[in-house]
Amino acid sequence: MFKDLTLTNIGKWWITIQISWVKHTAYRLNFFLQIIGPALVFFFVKYNLWASIYAGDSEQIIRGFNFEKMINYHIWAFVVALVAQGHGSWNLAEDIRLGRISSYLIYPFNFWEFHTASWLSFQVIQMIIAAFTLGIISYFGLLIFPSFDYFLIGVAYTLFISLFWFTLQYLTGVMAFWLEETWILRVMLNTVAYFLSGAIIPLDLYPKWIVDILNYTPFPYLTYYPIKIFMGELTNLSLGLYIISFWTIVFAIINHLVWKKGIKLYTAAGM
Amino acid sequence: MTTPLIKAHGLRKQFISYKKNPGIMGSFTSFFKRNPVYKDAVKGFNLEVNKGEIVGLLGPNGAGKTTLMKMFTGIIVPTEGELKILGSNPWERDKNFRKRIALVMGQKSQLWWDIPAMDSFLLLQKYYEVSNDHFKQRIDKMSSLLGVEELLHIHVRKLSLGERMKMELMASLLHNPEVIFLDEPTIGLDLVAQENIRNFIKDYHRETDCGIIITSHYMQDVNALCDRLVLIFDGEKGYDGTLEDFEDILGSDKSVSFSFKEAQNLEHPLFQGLDTTWNDERTNVDIRLPEEDLCLLSAKIISDLPVEDFATEKLPIERVMKELMNNPEILRQRRGSLKSV
Repeated sequence: MFKDLTLTNIGKWWITIQISWVKHTAYRLNFFLQIIGPALVFFFVKYNLWASIYAGDSEQIIRGFNFEKMINYHIWAFVVALVAQGHGSWNLAEDIRLGRISSYLIYPFNFWEFHTASWLSFQVIQMIIAAFTLGIISYFGLLIFPSFDYFLIGVAYTLFISLFWFTLQYLTGVMAFWLEETWILRVMLNTVAYFLSGAIIPLDLYPKWIVDILNYTPFPYLTYYPIKIFMGELTNLSLGLYIISFWTIVFAIINHLVWKKGIKLYTAAGM
Repeated sequence: MTTPLIKAHGLRKQFISYKKNPGIMGSFTSFFKRNPVYKDAVKGFNLEVNKGEIVGLLGPNGAGKTTLMKMFTGIIVPTEGELKILGSNPWERDKNFRKRIALVMGQKSQLWWDIPAMDSFLLLQKYYEVSNDHFKQRIDKMSSLLGVEELLHIHVRKLSLGERMKMELMASLLHNPEVIFLDEPTIGLDLVAQENIRNFIKDYHRETDCGIIITSHYMQDVNALCDRLVLIFDGEKGYDGTLEDFEDILGSDKSVSFSFKEAQNLEHPLFQGLDTTWNDERTNVDIRLPEEDLCLLSAKIISDLPVEDFATEKLPIERVMKELMNNPEILRQRRGSLKSV
């Protein structure tokens, strides 16, 4: 892998990232909606939901969360979801099943490099969307901005989690060499992660014994931990980093092996 | 002796699919018990192609042409046999190997639809490590030859099929490949576009002396481009030889057709003893006859009968191909008789 770390190869990554940007911005209206969509969803869904739960009594405290704190929890949950989980690799399984990856097998640029470069490019766009969404929310005076240090650590940690998600989604994608259709697997994975990572409600609202168990799984480190960093409440990051690093490396190795074996089964259907 | 560009020996590719009975019950039972169906798409295939050759790979749908192309380009892995393209195992997909080949698929776009072709070319320039000077020179030359200078900056999805195909060809030739695999490059194109593409391929071949393997169902393509034909039937090679020899598979007789102003008497002495096919109105006849008799007989018919029009066969290959597809046994018998010799 690292023998390819030459200037020429970096040039190939860079042009792939650029072309991927061009593709993402090819349709003006679509891109515009992509930018403003998340802010609209936040106000229509999350804000309204929690406003009605607190039913006008914003000083009511649910397990240590008043309305302002709860909304801030969800603002950051939204940002984490945008940056860490935005890239679903949704097309990968379909591309394999319908034989669309054939062209990439012929170019002298590996498929995983192409896919990863496209993901990097997508991440930049997601960061812009997240920044825009945060800007709109803070314009309405809802955001309690953490210290700049916490913010930077939070961004770095979230990007790290996005790498974890990327390796996991890639794995569900390349399983299409055997399973052909993997979307239900991905929906299940996302739903379980959504519930167990604290993306729907803060883990503080869960019974303690569940949280104790969850702490041994990667889930809380995917959403709950980064939110806590953004909210300036977490100081010990090392455990999360170790766990996420461990799983990212494991998935990367499995991806490599699965690809090597799966490509031998590839039939390039429809060509 | 030079190393062949393509060397295949005993090549086999087996695909597995699963049989499912129709209807919901069929789906339900297939959850528990799947019946695999094994099919050899290609079997025992041998081929050697040298530098500068243009080989037409022909056969009916499902014969295994595209499977061969996929194996040659390293997209799929052979089940068995030896395969070397430019001295490499294609399925190992070494980057240097990939830089030396190109594949054009008439039925599948390799360009990115949502961006202009020029953006795709720039991406490929980097992938194939083509220098800026060379890139500019290639783009200028190819786009002017194909008449697409004005289309380079238009989104690919907005191009017509013919225009897109020209772009596909440009994209695949940017890096001066030594072997080019063309899988039905003229499919669905109008006659003018087909001819443009053919001329372009011929020019490129003349200039670079590359090896080309082309599959097509259009005999005009084969006639205009190939010096050698390889026929594949049901995964096996049925014929490998020159175009001239192929045309003579069913005998070296020529075909000539005459149209008459009025219905003719089939008993006319001129037609006696000839292999003739008349239309219902008896105003048109196709005659198969030995090449040496062609001029003399044609002259007699024209002088003695009210001939309106006459034509000799333009594409004998088409007739031979049609006959072989209807009756592949001919090739087996021919192989048998060649072996006994």
